[in-house]
Amino acid sequence: MAKIEDLKEEARKLLREGKIKYVIGYAGASNGWMACPIFIKKPEDVEKLVWDPTCVHNLSRFLVDEKRRKEREKQPDKRPVGVFVKGCDSRAIVVLLQEKFIERNDVYILGISCENGGVVDEHRLAGKLEGKKPKKVEVGNKGQFVVTTADGKAEFPVEELLAERCLECRASFPVISDILSGEKLKRTVEKPFGSVEKMEGMPKEEKWRFWKEQIDKCIRCYACRSVCPMCYCDECVVDSINLAVSADTTAEEKADKVKWIQRSAESSENFIYHFVRAIHLAGRCIDCGECKRSCPLDIPIRFLNKKLEKEAKELFGYDVGFDPAQPSLISSFRDDDPEDFIR
Amino acid sequence: MDHNVYIPKLAKIIQVKEEVGGARAIKTFRTVFANGQGFDHRCGQCAMLSVFGKGESMISVSSSPLVKDYLQFSILKMGRVTSALHEMEIGDLIGIRGPYGNGFPIDDWKGKNLLFIGGGIGLAPIWSVLQTALTRKEEYGNLTLIYGARTSKDIVFKEELADLKSRMTVHLSIDVAEPEWQDFVGFVPQNVLDKKPGPANMIAITCGPPIMIKFVVKALKDLSFEDEQIYTTVENKMKCGIGKCGRCNIGLHYVCKDGPVYSWAELKRLPQEY
Amino acid sequence: MEKILEKRSLQSWVKKLDSWTIYAPRKDENGRWNYGIVQSDSVGLDFTVTTLPPKPLIFPQREVFLEFLKTAGENQETLEVKEVLPGEKPAVILGVRPCDARAISFLDQVFSGDFVDPYYWARRKKTILVGLACLTPPWENCFCLSAEGSPHSEDGLDILLTDLGDRYFVKTLTESGDRLVNEAKALFKEPRPEDKKKVKAVHAQAEQKIVRAIKGAKKDVAAKLKGMFNSPLWDEESMSCIRCGICTYLCPSCHCFDINDEVDSASPLRGKRVRTWDNCQFPDFTMHSSGHNPRPDKASRLRQRIFHKFQYFVEIYDETMCTGCGRCISLCPVGIDIINVLHKVNDHGS
Repeated sequence: MAKIEDLKEEARKLLREGKIKYVIGYAGASNGWMACPIFIKKPEDVEKLVWDPTCVHNLSRFLVDEKRRKEREKQPDKRPVGVFVKGCDSRAIVVLLQEKFIERNDVYILGISCENGGVVDEHRLAGKLEGKKPKKVEVGNKGQFVVTTADGKAEFPVEELLAERCLECRASFPVISDILSGEKLKRTVEKPFGSVEKMEGMPKEEKWRFWKEQIDKCIRCYACRSVCPMCYCDECVVDSINLAVSADTTAEEKADKVKWIQRSAESSENFIYHFVRAIHLAGRCIDCGECKRSCPLDIPIRFLNKKLEKEAKELFGYDVGFDPAQPSLISSFRDDDPEDFIR
Repeated sequence: MDHNVYIPKLAKIIQVKEEVGGARAIKTFRTVFANGQGFDHRCGQCAMLSVFGKGESMISVSSSPLVKDYLQFSILKMGRVTSALHEMEIGDLIGIRGPYGNGFPIDDWKGKNLLFIGGGIGLAPIWSVLQTALTRKEEYGNLTLIYGARTSKDIVFKEELADLKSRMTVHLSIDVAEPEWQDFVGFVPQNVLDKKPGPANMIAITCGPPIMIKFVVKALKDLSFEDEQIYTTVENKMKCGIGKCGRCNIGLHYVCKDGPVYSWAELKRLPQEY
Repeated sequence: MEKILEKRSLQSWVKKLDSWTIYAPRKDENGRWNYGIVQSDSVGLDFTVTTLPPKPLIFPQREVFLEFLKTAGENQETLEVKEVLPGEKPAVILGVRPCDARAISFLDQVFSGDFVDPYYWARRKKTILVGLACLTPPWENCFCLSAEGSPHSEDGLDILLTDLGDRYFVKTLTESGDRLVNEAKALFKEPRPEDKKKVKAVHAQAEQKIVRAIKGAKKDVAAKLKGMFNSPLWDEESMSCIRCGICTYLCPSCHCFDINDEVDSASPLRGKRVRTWDNCQFPDFTMHSSGHNPRPDKASRLRQRIFHKFQYFVEIYDETMCTGCGRCISLCPVGIDIINVLHKVNDHGS
């Protein structure tokens, strides 16, 4: 079983020796029962780190911020940052490495295996608790989830509370790490694309109705984009200004920036936003599910990305985020490509 | 309900003059309101100009309030709206709403010597004060202009400046030497230190790139000016112009409404968010 | 006036209000509450807290300011600019939490003053707010008492309902509120002395149940913040911020906006000028056309959110631009907790 204590000891040592700038990990939140990201600079604060099934966040997202910070600072501290990763999160780092957005020595990876578990889904848990507020979620000695409420402890089989993406996860352990806690358990997932297949089976009209209703809810807070480690572009189709604009950018370049998407949160614009984003994540999304979890209106954005993951798998046999040396989906080419035009 | 603050009035462009060409082009536009309705502005106030289909941009009125026949705007080509404005010709219609902002407290300056210090397009916001003071010369003391640009080609109001030399003291500068250039070579703050204007009964009004303003103020402080004697204008990204959309604030000041004119004494008390 | 409405008469009352569009909280398949148009037979008030406050019903995320049309005439082209004011049917929002109503009273101030916002007021004047007092905090992050509100605050409301079990205690607070009651006079009874007593008691009990609090959220924090503009706190507290718009878009009192032209046809030129919500957490909010950004990082943007709410707004309007609804805390994807941040402000330098 994964032991946070081993990783904490390592983090403490690295900080004490000044080998890393800070550690990105999980801590108990002040606003509820879920863990939240914490940034630890001092060895004595390592004690605050926690590991439980509420550690949902993909902390590799913050490597993007660290890169930006270094770019902004005149004399940046170039030491690596330590980051706690689950299996899915580690694959996001693989993609960042593959795309050469970060370097391997920018990061010290503290891997933690979910083994046969994963993280809880808030809505599923709320459904089970029937109005009672969770205070704590732990993994029991038989691998079950133990939920503490004001009424005491209740136990649930993991399948009943796991986030959907965890139920479809094919690699519950970090594929890349500097130190790993927990076992690299192979797990068999009968239907890795089960949730998408269910949706694929819907009649066209029903599918349209479903997505129209979902996309119409969008308020364009961009939490899905903001929480995503792959959404690191300086130039994004939805922004009013290209964030890479500098004093040297000509007025013409700025004036000619096409407004593909209006700011208005209307059906047409929202659809383009979510579709453009999904397509830009094809072969890059590692299904950490953070987009879906962060959405304040519960738009099931994950399905869009999962669908493209499925396409990539079926058409090109492409698995995302397992090998930093692997070429990206978009930049790779094979003689037996299913499309004629490319051959 | 009273007049809708967000609806611009239509105005016709009656004159377009190219001040500076090239990548950092500047053009001066004169406009008259299509329906004769106008507005009375104060020196240093701004107006929101519309190019319909492109959007709005906040531009300072460079003509004097004493001129009633037209409104003048000198505009640096910078982004979407200003590029569209640069495409416009005589007879084209734009939208104008305003005037916005506080303006310069010129009535408080009566009897004082005025020192204008500008760089590049920064001459535009102080031009209205300068013109007003010139027209009412008897109400003010000595008038002096120290103005500079990157090259001689980047100087705005070239003809007006030539004419100005007979009516007030004018010190021009360019950043790097050119064969034909007779005046000062160097940055504007250096020219200020070179000309050594004294602070006695003087108000200094400076406008230009932020880095220039910073060093002009330093130069003026070296010349023993008090913070209260130095005035400048600030710009931030603006959308509504009326202190509601929330983006142009520096501390609790909305630049569109409470600015853009600040004395250095006031600006020093505000956080550096511009 | 003070009246009693039997709970079973709620739908009959709403049925009488056919001159208004009725909005009330509705639950979606994920268990979230949000306002929607309801028919009288589906009206109920057993909700907790809506994900979006009622704000968008008065200050919608998108609204058209004007339409423009360029037409080529014989001698010259003409440009027509037409003001577009909202013309919806008057509305009643049923089931407004007191914190959200107070926030609307703040918006009233922002959209008044030297420049009156005609779009905001066109809707506001035609909207009647029927509040529901909170008897238990709708969720764990409520802190209205610290924000100088209360679970039974009347600010901004036209009517305040208090749940007394089988009946609502109805207190009208404005003429519009009276009018709404008078539409169905027969349904409303005079309160008994014990009803009045019970209202007082449940209101007092409700205050006791609020757990989260900030000391001196208005005066002390505002004074403290004055000297904290350059504090390292903002960098530390914003480390986990992902710069999304949840805390601001879902805030009942945040009101920053953008104005853009949307072109429907390039030739002849035809389009609209629209206002949309915007927010201080997006990097492009303050970025100049030149690329210069006065708020270039997450730290300066978090600082702006806190300063606007707890310093600038306090200085200008003598209120915190926060009513303690708890949305920004409960819905933040990374657990940034404004109460915690303000605790640290309070502790700063001590």
